[in-house]
Amino acid sequence: MDTSHLAEHIGAAGSLAASVFVVATYTMRTMIPLRVFGMLTNVVLMITAIPIHSFLQFGLHAGLLCLNGYRLHQMLQLVRDVKKSVNGDLSMDWLKPFMTERKCETGEMLFYKDEKAETMLYIVSGRYRLVESGIELPVGAIVGELGMLSPSNERTQSLECIEGGTVLSVSYRQVEELYVQNPEFGFYFLRLASARLFQNIGKLEERLAEYGTAPTAAVSSPA
Amino acid sequence: MNFGSPKVTGILPAIRSIFADVLGDDDSSPPVLPAGLPEAVRTLAADGVRRLTDYQGPGYAQLYVDRLRRFAGRRNLDDAVFAEIARLMTVRMAYDDAIEMAQAKLAEAEAGHGIPPDDRRRLRLDEMVSSLPEMVADPVLWALDYVGWLHLPVTLRFSAASRFGLRRLKIEASLKRWRLSSIRYARERAWVERWLHMIDRSLTRQPAAAAAVTATAGMVQGYGDGYTQNLRDWNLIVDELVKPTFDGTLRCDDLAGAIAEARAAVRPDRKQVQLKQTIAGIRARNAAGP
Repeated sequence: MDTSHLAEHIGAAGSLAASVFVVATYTMRTMIPLRVFGMLTNVVLMITAIPIHSFLQFGLHAGLLCLNGYRLHQMLQLVRDVKKSVNGDLSMDWLKPFMTERKCETGEMLFYKDEKAETMLYIVSGRYRLVESGIELPVGAIVGELGMLSPSNERTQSLECIEGGTVLSVSYRQVEELYVQNPEFGFYFLRLASARLFQNIGKLEERLAEYGTAPTAAVSSPA
Repeated sequence: MNFGSPKVTGILPAIRSIFADVLGDDDSSPPVLPAGLPEAVRTLAADGVRRLTDYQGPGYAQLYVDRLRRFAGRRNLDDAVFAEIARLMTVRMAYDDAIEMAQAKLAEAEAGHGIPPDDRRRLRLDEMVSSLPEMVADPVLWALDYVGWLHLPVTLRFSAASRFGLRRLKIEASLKRWRLSSIRYARERAWVERWLHMIDRSLTRQPAAAAAVTATAGMVQGYGDGYTQNLRDWNLIVDELVKPTFDGTLRCDDLAGAIAEARAAVRPDRKQVQLKQTIAGIRARNAAGP
């Protein structure tokens, strides 16, 4: 029995279906649906390649399917991590895979007060001090996460490395790209940034209350 | 296809914007000077904005204005020092690189006063390569360092005398699109920020020294070996005198005098023997002082 005729029809139908998926992929506005449709297109094109014995096409789309799947997993994992962070310890550890390592030497200034902020930093090792306030930042601290959302985009203090170490950095542009590509991430990122801001306000209020009660106590205590 | 229809009119600007982004075009609006600048500063700042718009673009000029804004209405800062900050910041932000040299020669040719004479500039190989985008410059610098050619002198000729020369100048000047992503720019940016930070700390800790700290920017000019040497001298003065005074690890009540003394000891010497001796003397004197 001659099956070439059948293969030709399957090939034509497969190409038509694949074209529909390609068009659908290109019309997606955000990253997650784009990856999903990309994967569907890969599957259709792989199926189409079988009856016409196009092993190159099959191999190419099998590879692309894995790549699309991996990137989709990264995106979904990112959303899960940010969501977990909002409901948990408000940490920014989820950003680590997107950050690049930078070595710092003793005495090096990472940034200056009033400088235009463009990066977020995560302290991995070493010792770092905010020059104006004299506060030393602990390992694991994130610096500049709110600067991205502030209208002036300026550093409020200078940061000096007082003992050599490593920091991870990510540019605001990269975070913006993640935000735009993935609206769900953007939503949780905003919630996280707001929660951290409220946390800072809470700490300030506590300190103010401490300062407020200290002199009062001194006054009220008998001489 | 009717490109004038409402649906399609959005496509062309979108394509243009993609290309502008890839090519690094600066489409920011011209910066506006902050209100309340003293008259002397305003004139110099307006010149600075014009110069930096020609040098790089309106976005870069906006950075200049933002930096200047930090000092507007600042206590302890007199108008003359503020004007000097505006002037020196223009000079330092429009630093000399091969791109700027090509831009300057082109501007001379376009001014219409006949064919300008050729310029020959002696730069360093690392200086030239560091003007390229980081992604390109990094591996090249690594390779040059590996073969020991990093500081090799290179003589460049900037000529507008022929069509070929003019074309070359235009190509070199067009590299300004990528200037802000270069290693050199990152260094220059850090330098300007450090200088402004020292002025800021001086206004808080020792306002009498603010003029002297500001004027140190005049030390760092030029290109090639001279520029590298100037930079090393400036760093030595700031690291050993200015910063320790502001940090409180050196008690120098007359920082302006100390800076002037150190600057007078600057010589074209790679080992910086005299400068180091002078600074050591100042430090010893101030450590032993009351």
